[in-house]
Amino acid sequence: MKIYVLLSHIPVLVSILYAAFSFHKLGRHIRIFCSFLLLSGLVQLVSLVLWFKQVNNLPLLHFYVPLGLACLTFFYHSILKSIINRYILWGLLCLFMLFSIINTLFIQPINTYNSYALTVESILIVIYSLSSFIFMLNSIPGGVNAKAIKSLNWINSGLFIYYTSSLLIFYFGSILAVHSAPAIARYAWAMHAFFSVTMYVFFTIGLWKEQHN
Amino acid sequence: MEGTTQLSNLVYLLPLLAIIFIVAAGVLMLNLHFQKNLFHQKLMQEEIISNHQKELLRSSIQVQEDERKRIAVDLHDELGAVLSIARMHLVALEQQTRIPEECIGSLKDIRELTETSISSIRRISHELMPQNLQMFGLLETLQHIVSTANNSNGINIRLNCDDKLESLPWSVSLGLYRICLELINNTIKHAQAKHINISIRLDGRQLTLFYVDDGIGITEKELKNGLGQKNIQARAISIGATVNMGNNETGGFYAMLKLPDITII
Repeated sequence: MKIYVLLSHIPVLVSILYAAFSFHKLGRHIRIFCSFLLLSGLVQLVSLVLWFKQVNNLPLLHFYVPLGLACLTFFYHSILKSIINRYILWGLLCLFMLFSIINTLFIQPINTYNSYALTVESILIVIYSLSSFIFMLNSIPGGVNAKAIKSLNWINSGLFIYYTSSLLIFYFGSILAVHSAPAIARYAWAMHAFFSVTMYVFFTIGLWKEQHN
Repeated sequence: MEGTTQLSNLVYLLPLLAIIFIVAAGVLMLNLHFQKNLFHQKLMQEEIISNHQKELLRSSIQVQEDERKRIAVDLHDELGAVLSIARMHLVALEQQTRIPEECIGSLKDIRELTETSISSIRRISHELMPQNLQMFGLLETLQHIVSTANNSNGINIRLNCDDKLESLPWSVSLGLYRICLELINNTIKHAQAKHINISIRLDGRQLTLFYVDDGIGITEKELKNGLGQKNIQARAISIGATVNMGNNETGGFYAMLKLPDITII
């Protein structure tokens, strides 16, 4: 089991190391995205350590979800600023932060799985990524050359495929942990790990394309 | 009861996840396909615009050349002829014995001014439309320019040309002639050079012109914004050539023009 958990973290590590080494060569949009990569890398590392020490790592998720959405809102704002009013994006982020805090304080305590916040976050990211697909099919975002679109497309595709596929796992996450048969929960989280690996592979390809266009 | 329903629903979760993943992958594939199509369409549009601009440039240079030719012919044949007749009358007047003494000097001055005007008109009309180029072709015209420049400017020009240059189309000969003239003028005016090497080679259907001097070179600003450089670029584009200009290792200026597909007459 441990070996599978470790293996599933390799693509995360590869994409973060690649982003760190090539940061100075990356464009503005991808640099903003690197903040999300850095955050997710840090959270994955700490949660891995806690998992090995058999300490509950779910509290991390309560911080990771709002902060992750904040980073991705910055990223999507840089792409979509010409079609979506920035007050809508920032307004949605503020509302989500508020919801996330209320959820942690009153609905799903910090030691439990925050499935509601994760589900809402996933829905928002799927909407942002679909908007970006449509936008990039119609025009080139300001300050981005046509070739850089390829790498943005890969990163956006990674986010889309992960958050779309994992939406149901996030929604049923708390039920899976408590009520389902262990085999179903194991398979579901194995599939989640596969979606996550797919996303980080897409990120790595996107970063590679950014430099080799 | 509700909890039991949710638990029984979990049985469908895994296949549902797989289906959602496949659908999401399908959306990505479709998006990739649309992106590729759009990219090709944009490339084609850009190519059409670029070709249209080249065509516009070509026709504007053609119009310019036609107008130059008309002005050159009008100057030479009409104004030149009128001034020649005026000069002839002035010479006849000077030879008359009844002319008062005080008018003879003025008459001589007028005749000399007329002669200067005639030679100026001839020079201007030849510059506007090089008759040598029409009559003798590019090679001999360039050789003539080189020998004139070598005799008068304290500069040494070496010309190394292919004999097959005589068979170039008129538009290409004229374009190359104008480009060479612009390059030589620029070197003489700004480069403080002592030597110029010009080489024009025809290899199959590809023509290569290499120009190099040993002067002080060209600044980045002049290279980007210089009127002469823009003229050279425009002329090159109008004949379907590409031109690279800059400074070589020794600091002098160089220009490399390549015409990839030339139709030889």
